[in-house]
Amino acid sequence: MKGLMWKLLRRHVSAAQLGGFAVANLIGLTIVILAVQFYGDVRPIFNDDESFIKRDYLVITRKVTGMGALMGSGSEFSGDAIADLERQDWVTKVGKFQTSEYSINATVGLGNSGRSMSTQFFFESIPDEFIDVNSSDWRFNPQRPEVPVIVSKDYLSLYNFGFAAAQGMPKLSEGMMSMIPLQFTLTGNGISDVLPGRIVGFSSRLNTILVPEEFMQWSNRRYGNGGTSAPSRLIVEVNTPGDVRIADYMDAKGYEVGGDKMNSGKANYFLSVVIGIVIAVGVLISLLSFFVLMLSIYLLLQKNTKKLQDLLMLGYHPRQVAAPYIRMVVAINGVVLVASIVLMVVARSFYMGMLHAFGVNGSSLAAAIVVAVAIMGCITAGNVIAIRSKINQLWRQTD
Amino acid sequence: MQRIELNNMLPAVFAGRADTGSEVWLRNLTLERGKKYLISAESGTGKSSLCSYIYGFRTDYSGVLSFDGTDVRSLDVARWCEVRCRHLAYLPQELRLFPELTAMENVLLKNDITGFKSMRDIVQLFEMLGIADKQNSLVDKMSIGQQQRVAIIRTLCQPYDFIMLDEPVSHLDNANNAIVASLIADEAERQGAGVIATSVGNNVMINVDKELKL
Repeated sequence: MKGLMWKLLRRHVSAAQLGGFAVANLIGLTIVILAVQFYGDVRPIFNDDESFIKRDYLVITRKVTGMGALMGSGSEFSGDAIADLERQDWVTKVGKFQTSEYSINATVGLGNSGRSMSTQFFFESIPDEFIDVNSSDWRFNPQRPEVPVIVSKDYLSLYNFGFAAAQGMPKLSEGMMSMIPLQFTLTGNGISDVLPGRIVGFSSRLNTILVPEEFMQWSNRRYGNGGTSAPSRLIVEVNTPGDVRIADYMDAKGYEVGGDKMNSGKANYFLSVVIGIVIAVGVLISLLSFFVLMLSIYLLLQKNTKKLQDLLMLGYHPRQVAAPYIRMVVAINGVVLVASIVLMVVARSFYMGMLHAFGVNGSSLAAAIVVAVAIMGCITAGNVIAIRSKINQLWRQTD
Repeated sequence: MQRIELNNMLPAVFAGRADTGSEVWLRNLTLERGKKYLISAESGTGKSSLCSYIYGFRTDYSGVLSFDGTDVRSLDVARWCEVRCRHLAYLPQELRLFPELTAMENVLLKNDITGFKSMRDIVQLFEMLGIADKQNSLVDKMSIGQQQRVAIIRTLCQPYDFIMLDEPVSHLDNANNAIVASLIADEAERQGAGVIATSVGNNVMINVDKELKL
């Protein structure tokens, strides 16, 4: 039955029209999913987020003004200011920087020569959830005090590409730095202790010298006044990096955002806008091709009206009569879907080489494929509904 | 389906006519299963319209048409499909064959949804009607008389309670008329079905129970 029906109904099927639709839709769909894929692949560069989690962190301070400093008005954040920040809907969570309240001297032993370098030092701590370094050594035991430290990646770069290059000193890798034994002399409240320490990681998010929050609380109790001072730096996790409201809020409150986080946020924002435009263009092309297909189908049904009516006269149900056209549309759309995914993967291979240079491995194809299937699903559903309703219209007009 | 009832029916185009002199329009008429009716008419008296109303593809009439007491206007699409496949066979005057298919394909297109006749039965029908050699010819290339016989075979490829034939032998000679008549009479007899034939002059040679003037 299928064979005979198709033999009858394929009359007036225009290969040119269907080919036109297929090519147009292929282009539109490929643009859309390539844009989605590209966005997923490129985002980590802008986010500078090693954990690949799609969010951003801002480190904020209050502006230090000359007058304020003289008047002694603090640069700390009050409890109210923090509570107000937490209420903003672009804020996911807020962490406080705690600063060491005692004097620290760091000593680096230089091999067995007996010589050593020492310098004044400071520590900061934030809740662990904000730290972008995973290390099993990131803990503190008061029974056997040893100080794990995370320093900014920038410090290492500064040494390797600035100092070492200029002075003809050897460059150091992260692994080598971690092996250097450090000694911290902590002094306060009339107590002075020497504790061993070690660099356990480098953070690209946090431009400071970090110790575990647990150690900070312990040491501030022991050498300082218990860590009761208000924080002067906050780390904020935001869910919409690049949101203009963030910049407005910071300006209004007189807060400063550390580093170029806001800039990368802006770049990210513009990336989103550009990708959004590209996706819109792709969707538009797909939509237009959808109408080309609809028009082609309507024309086809129009030309075959007599045949379709005669089939209904024979006792065929409108659904049976619609089936060959529905199968045709589903087959075309299926081919376009597969072809566009293949095209996307091929196009992606061209730019991935470049992205690897940035140290980005790319995201999974899942999102793009889901989008492709969803768009094709909608287009196919639209086609099927249109064919069914058009053939239902022929019922009762079979004269 | 045991009865086809026409109550005070009149095609919309005849609206306003008080008495058409017809034995069908504006009358209460019951067509019963198992009986044979000849509806004789002059052209333009609504013969094909009557067939369209009964077969369910036109509703431009006043009055009530019902199958076993059910107003046909209340039948849904699925029910009409069932009627057309199981209860009511129809040979349209304009035949409505598909010219781009062969004679056999035209017949199979119907038999595929009813599954009523075996291939052997179909071939036998082609033989009886003298067009066995035309099975695989495109309908387009056949004479109107041959086409009419293909359409008759197709009409017979289903079970039915009534078989409705709109001028079934208009293009056939007397010999073929006789063959078609006996074929239809036999098939109807076997199924206990009613026959409704129309004619504008060239009557199918069936012994009718009742002749109605349209």
